[in-house]
Amino acid sequence: MKAGRLWRAADLILIFSVAAAAVLAALLLWRPASGDPVAVVAVAGNELDRIRLSAVASGYDLPLDTEPGVVLRVEPGRIRFAKADCPDQVCVNSGWLSSPGQTAVCLPARVSVRLEGDGGVDAVVR
Amino acid sequence: MSKTGVQRVEQDGRARKVALLGMLSAVAVALSWLEGMLAPLPGMPPGAKLGLSNVATMLAATTLGPGSALTVTLIKGAFAGLTRGLTAGLMSLAGGLLSTGAVCLLLRWRRCPFGWIGIGVTGAVCHNLGQLLVSYLLTNAAVLAYLPLLLLFALLAGAATGLTLYILLPAVSRIWGKGG
Repeated sequence: MKAGRLWRAADLILIFSVAAAAVLAALLLWRPASGDPVAVVAVAGNELDRIRLSAVASGYDLPLDTEPGVVLRVEPGRIRFAKADCPDQVCVNSGWLSSPGQTAVCLPARVSVRLEGDGGVDAVVR
Repeated sequence: MSKTGVQRVEQDGRARKVALLGMLSAVAVALSWLEGMLAPLPGMPPGAKLGLSNVATMLAATTLGPGSALTVTLIKGAFAGLTRGLTAGLMSLAGGLLSTGAVCLLLRWRRCPFGWIGIGVTGAVCHNLGQLLVSYLLTNAAVLAYLPLLLLFALLAGAATGLTLYILLPAVSRIWGKGG
């Protein structure tokens, strides 16, 4: 066991590198997408459903057949985890997702909901 | 003087090591549980933990060696798995193993350029990357959106664990009677 110092020059370099990596990752991963939000619902890595949120006429519940069980709530322009039979409730606490780029995940059920932007044909129609 | 010291350590070594190992494991489990009690941080992936209990594994790595640090990590992972479910156990293990491995390598490195802050930050970054990897394997690339915040939280948590170790180690060495 060595008597280490609290601080060394290399620590600063390390901290700056990690901070720079965080900023770079944010720039790459958090690129704001434009257009209609499309909710991509995936279970265990497999895409289950794509929901164009602007095309949702009235709100409905979307129960998923997972273990633990998860219920999504879909409303015009927004989506959220409404209920999850897991102890931590992180996905439910993520709240509503309404703009492209937003993500909520329930790890125990392996469900992810990610909003993608779709500025394609519909944008022209609009 | 040093010879008697060595003999003493050899005689008491095993019992002392087992006792300290048990204590550190208890501390790791308690910290891990305490962290679970805290409100989840906004922007953290579900089930991801800051890794405050890394203080205990790092203390085990510095005072008792890599094998003991590994044992503490495994006990902590088993506890998380039993109390918070398989997913939490996997997350804890992945984060714990990666960070303990990295910290042990740094501690063994004779010309390690880092101080305690740097070692703490390395451990925390590895901890969070391990957890993100498990999240990714369980779901899909959607969880990568958490990476930037995970890295920033790792800086804070790592600096905190490094500082804690720096303060604790002299006292611990005095009490446990091992070289500082």
